[in-house]
Amino acid sequence: MIKLKKAKFFPYGVHIPDNKTLTSDLKIVDITPPGKVYISMSQHIGAPATPVVNVGDKVKVGTLIGSANGAVSANVYSSVSGEVIGIESLTNGLNQKQTHVIIQNDFLGETVTFDDIENVTPSAIVERVRLSGIVGLGGAGFPTAVKLSPALPVDTIVINGAECEPYLTCDYRLMMEHPQEVLEGVKLIASAVGAKNIVIGIEKNKPEAIKLFSQFDGISVVPLKKQYPMGSEKHLIYCTTGRKVPLGKMPFDVGVIVSNVKTALECYRAVKLNLPLTHIVMTVSGDGIENPKNVRVPLGTPLSDIISFCGGAKDGVEKIIAGGPMMGKALTSINHYTRKTDSGLLLLGKKSTSLDYPTNCINCARCAYNCPMRLMPMYIELYANAKDYEKAEKYGAMSCIECGTCAYNCPAKRPLVQSISLAKAKIKEMKNARK
Amino acid sequence: MQENNVTTSPNIENLTVSPSPHVKKVHTTKWVMINVCVALLPACIMGVVYFGLLALAIIALSVASAVISEIVFELICKKKFKDILRAFDFSSCVTGLLIAMTIGTNYPLYAPVLGSAFAIIVVKMLFGGTGKNIVNPAIAGRIFMFISFQAVVGVWPAPAIGSIFGLPPTSGATELAGMLGNGALPSLSNWDLLLGTGLAGSIGETCKLALLVGAIYLAVLRIIDLRFPTIFVVTTGLMSVALNGWRFELFLPSILSGGLIIGAFFMATDYVTTPNTKLANYIYFFLLGIITAILRDATKMEVISFAILLMNLTVPLFDKFIIQKPFGKQKTPKKETAKNESK
Repeated sequence: MIKLKKAKFFPYGVHIPDNKTLTSDLKIVDITPPGKVYISMSQHIGAPATPVVNVGDKVKVGTLIGSANGAVSANVYSSVSGEVIGIESLTNGLNQKQTHVIIQNDFLGETVTFDDIENVTPSAIVERVRLSGIVGLGGAGFPTAVKLSPALPVDTIVINGAECEPYLTCDYRLMMEHPQEVLEGVKLIASAVGAKNIVIGIEKNKPEAIKLFSQFDGISVVPLKKQYPMGSEKHLIYCTTGRKVPLGKMPFDVGVIVSNVKTALECYRAVKLNLPLTHIVMTVSGDGIENPKNVRVPLGTPLSDIISFCGGAKDGVEKIIAGGPMMGKALTSINHYTRKTDSGLLLLGKKSTSLDYPTNCINCARCAYNCPMRLMPMYIELYANAKDYEKAEKYGAMSCIECGTCAYNCPAKRPLVQSISLAKAKIKEMKNARK
Repeated sequence: MQENNVTTSPNIENLTVSPSPHVKKVHTTKWVMINVCVALLPACIMGVVYFGLLALAIIALSVASAVISEIVFELICKKKFKDILRAFDFSSCVTGLLIAMTIGTNYPLYAPVLGSAFAIIVVKMLFGGTGKNIVNPAIAGRIFMFISFQAVVGVWPAPAIGSIFGLPPTSGATELAGMLGNGALPSLSNWDLLLGTGLAGSIGETCKLALLVGAIYLAVLRIIDLRFPTIFVVTTGLMSVALNGWRFELFLPSILSGGLIIGAFFMATDYVTTPNTKLANYIYFFLLGIITAILRDATKMEVISFAILLMNLTVPLFDKFIIQKPFGKQKTPKKETAKNESK
């Protein structure tokens, strides 16, 4: 028995059956290299990168193919060696038209790396993180270099090891298999922003990871209650440091930066091993796949290659989800290409996904009772549907973190998150118009 | 060009696309309503045991009337029968059951039919169906019958275990009426009031124990929160005690006689007609208790349905003025907000 410290929790939230045992004990394996990769130029928040290669160019693993376009943007690197055979505008599985660079793999696996950093200063670390195209790999896709240049002094780095989404286990596997590298990465991030404290929050359903990280010096482990959405930035900060991020403010306003396990690991690889971000680790799971796996995938790998590597799909797949089941997006087709922010690929059958029709709201207030941000989702939805976006804002639409807790609990199966994100988009539009 | 590049798996086609989250609780409105029906069953069974097969006929007629009115109304609204069946959520069954349970076997058989039809068509469907009604349909249906059948109001059949075999039940005023009238303690013990043995009353309200069992079932399934009806019941009891010159021996009888238990646990807790925040609910159920006790004392009648009806109408006010404070919200000084608004 592993003795645990008393787990921290926040009020409200919800317990969700996590289904993590499908993949939690499976080691991360490398996928058989795909024949072609389709690398999107827009895998992050901000301006799309500009392609800097031409059709016919020879590239290696780690050759720059897309250059960052402005401050909030990120470089994109080739994930295979071979020849560029096309630069096209393709529609991905989310129905977004994006510029993709198509590379034919020559299976030689030649690699180029950056030069060693001679003097590891904070600015050198930030510069290297910017150069290597690292973005928030937890799903947000916010360029990490921008995050590492906070406007206010930061004293604490919080590492998000909560992984509160059901099914996903890739962060847990990385913590178990590469603890030293994760720790090194965190320390690099801390030295880049001059933070003294390093805290890692891990949910109690991963006792082995808690035990493993408790052995290391210079990092304090906070066990967290298994609760959704524990991985939300604001709630993680509240549980690990006791600080509340004010509404509409960023974590650095309370002196904290939150980073994902994967992001920390990539920072280590970029600074110490001189490797740009070319591969990501994702969990392929769900009841629609033959062999669930944790796989390391080159960016731009088509989904069909990943699915066939995992033994193919079972019959009766109803939904394919990029990301976790709570916040991930359902794909319209299998023509999707791995992006930096994809941490999961779920194939769900009819039984494990919700297909109910929405009915009238019965005012049961379960959405409000469980909202981790303590908003009133039913009113936001009501006013969003009535196109009264000012009222929707009054009930806190802009503070919504879109975690999906309200819709998870809703007995009327109303698409609350969709209505709220519509309200958010419209409110932003209104504000821009006023300016 | 794109077609050439894409390899497809043969067995993945016709994917469903929907907004997140992609996993949800299995609980639906239908599930909630079916469980409320199940929770009402013990009290119904006790009603049949006490009042005979006539009670069963009243329950069946009332539920049938409620369900048929809903379906007929939707057919008139030109909905397809298939869609009506798919969207049927058993809330009309709950309404029908509750209406049958609040009347005695001395009511004419067409009374529950009319009451249920009124509750469903006028109170629920005309306002937009499940979830859109502003007052509880069962309460409105009960009041409709209370006003329409004055001849039988106030006289209740007393239960007799043998009546299921055809023995005629005796009739009389309820214990509550006696208590409210002259402040006298009821002639029955608190145990009799709890079990309903020998107590004159309506089909479903007589056996309080069966109702409490149902309420606990709902609480275990987390459909209702027992705190709120308990606040209601205790407040009513204490207020009755206070209004009668602090006679504490009236506490339990005032809770256990009349329709307080069914009203508090099954009617007042209706999702649609309760406020949407915990704080507002505490205040709402507390005020309900106060109003019930005051109205009972003033009218010398069982008026819990009127109290609930009155408070139902105040729910939008609660929802307008009491909203949750978002996580991490900071107090803004009043002057500052005034400035921002004037901008």
